[in-house]
Amino acid sequence: MKRNSNLVLCVDDERIGLEVRKILLERAGYRVLTASDGPSGLAIFASEPVEAVVLDYSMPGMDGGEIAIQMRQTKPGVPILLLSAYIGLAPEVTAAVDLYMTKGEGAPILLEKLDSLLQPVV
Amino acid sequence: MNLSQFKNILRQVFVLPVVALLVVAGALYVQIRGSNSTVNLIQESDARISQATLLSKLIVDEESGLRGYETTGDARFLQPFYEAESHLQTEIQNLDNMAGGDADQKHDIADLRDEHQTWQDAFALPVIATVRGGGQTNDVDLNLHGKVLMDNVRHDLIDIIQKAEASRTRRIARWHRQVHTMLLVLLALALGMGVLIGLFTRSRLHAVSAAYRSSLDILGRRAEELYQSEQQLRTTLESIGDGVITCDAEGRIQMMNPVARELTGWSQTEAGGHQLEDVFRIVNETTREPVETPVAKVRRLDKIVGMANHHTILLRKDGTELDISDSAAPIRDKAGNTTGIVLVFRDITMERKTQEALISNEKLAVAGRLAATIAHEIHNPLDSVSNLLYLMRDGASPEESVRFMDMAQQELTRVTQISRAMLGLYRESKAPVVVDLKEMLEEILLLMERRLSDLGVKVTTNMPEPIEVAAFPAELRQVFTNLITNAAEAACQGGLIKISIEPQSAGVGVNGQKLQPGAIVTIADNGVGIPDDVQPHLFQPFFTTKGEQGTGLGLWVSRGIINKHGGTISVVSNMSETAHGTELSVFLATNPTINAAGD
Repeated sequence: MKRNSNLVLCVDDERIGLEVRKILLERAGYRVLTASDGPSGLAIFASEPVEAVVLDYSMPGMDGGEIAIQMRQTKPGVPILLLSAYIGLAPEVTAAVDLYMTKGEGAPILLEKLDSLLQPVV
Repeated sequence: MNLSQFKNILRQVFVLPVVALLVVAGALYVQIRGSNSTVNLIQESDARISQATLLSKLIVDEESGLRGYETTGDARFLQPFYEAESHLQTEIQNLDNMAGGDADQKHDIADLRDEHQTWQDAFALPVIATVRGGGQTNDVDLNLHGKVLMDNVRHDLIDIIQKAEASRTRRIARWHRQVHTMLLVLLALALGMGVLIGLFTRSRLHAVSAAYRSSLDILGRRAEELYQSEQQLRTTLESIGDGVITCDAEGRIQMMNPVARELTGWSQTEAGGHQLEDVFRIVNETTREPVETPVAKVRRLDKIVGMANHHTILLRKDGTELDISDSAAPIRDKAGNTTGIVLVFRDITMERKTQEALISNEKLAVAGRLAATIAHEIHNPLDSVSNLLYLMRDGASPEESVRFMDMAQQELTRVTQISRAMLGLYRESKAPVVVDLKEMLEEILLLMERRLSDLGVKVTTNMPEPIEVAAFPAELRQVFTNLITNAAEAACQGGLIKISIEPQSAGVGVNGQKLQPGAIVTIADNGVGIPDDVQPHLFQPFFTTKGEQGTGLGLWVSRGIINKHGGTISVVSNMSETAHGTELSVFLATNPTINAAGD
């Protein structure tokens, strides 16, 4: 099933994980930009017409929670999906994102959640 | 009153009577001198009277001689006349000399001399000339005139004698007065001095008596305080939670408190007088060899042997055993000679169990923290593998499938590495095994990679070659995980940790200490450093600077493990702006003697 060609930004410090996620989303029809840390992710988010963000929580330096809070301040309308290996996240982190899911839930769940974020509200 | 004051009083009590007697003697001397002077004057009066009497006799002799010659005309009768006359002027002059400066007497003597000269010139010499010439001298008028002239001489002499006697009488009266005065003065002085000495001595005796009473009071109070102190010590010894045994200088038991009696199983009556080694039998926990008692050590070293847990077992009288820790100190007299030794010991069986529980708890805490990190480490590659499988199932080309499988393989290799490191982490071994420190540290860094990365901390290593030591690997892993975690948390975002291993050869250190062959592992961070007041507490249990995040047992347990391995752990920290950071060094011997209990 081909989805629309929304521009999605993926941020993750795991090289293979990020590469696999890019292939997965491109197969699903998205255009994908990638960043391996918070500062470069924020720079791309500010300069490109990103329509959704898939963000890893655990990263060196700036974690996904901090990145989400800054993105919200720059472009509040862009939906953010947070991926985490941790089960419990702080309330201020979950408040800064639209959806979150734990890694390992599987590719269909990821695609479904991202799709739901980009579906126009009826 | 101190001894010096007391001696001063003794001196005063001796000196005052001496001074008083000197005053009395002085007064007596003055009085006696006055009396002597008066006696001299009396003697002078007596001499004048005698001299005047002598003159009377000479005049009588002169006149008698003249009368005899006048009557008989025999010249032999003139011999007394001339003899008396030859002495008379000299004796009159002597009398005049005796008068000294007394003008009245000198006047009387001059009168006497004149009257005698008149008698001699006007009567005696003409009579002699007349008789010698054969003339008559029985003329009444002439003889009456001679009589009048001699009467004048006699009158003058009587006057002189009477005046001398009157003077003598006055002088005797004066002497009597002087003697009387002297007696009175002596009496008054004796009384005065007696009263003075009495009052003074009384006041001094009062002072001494007050001081004596005060000393008695102080002694009484001290005796009471001593008694109370002894009671307090006795009660303390009786109720103290530690066993206390006192021995004489030869190590024979004198006293055991109730805890000592209970712990050893010996009563005071049974143990009293025995050598300590007979009652306090201790052996090494591991070797079961007898251990030198602290009392024997004190006798040997002559100094305090501190409380330390040397893994010592006390063999009680009934054969049961207790873990104990002990210490001993010499009891010294004022001169510093050892007169006895006191031994203090306690049952640490429960303490040891508590320590073991705490160590176990810390192991779990370390395991828990690592488990969270490891779960995350495994989760990431598994997520990638799951996504790759989805892609392959979703119609990947053969080329794509090969590429996806390679990627999945890489991720699974990583999981395998982590899993292998995990398996080694808590594999307990019963005996020490050969451990490659380089390999172990690399495995730990692999497991901690994510955590270090999250903290934004970089790690550099200087581990040029494998270095092997005999150790319990699981325990060493726990130590290094702890130390690296601490360093990472101290270094914070952007910080750096340097890990190095250096071999150490056998030899002698810079301070003269013997060096064992082994390795020094150094873990250094460039954090803010540890304040000086915190450093002494770093290895204490339950001391943490991490609040709720720390158990406060990490470094305490780490030191216990390193000590168990016969190694050492030390910390150097610097808070200066240019060279801040903390460096922890762990020395591990190549072939250590492993201590069973760890500290």
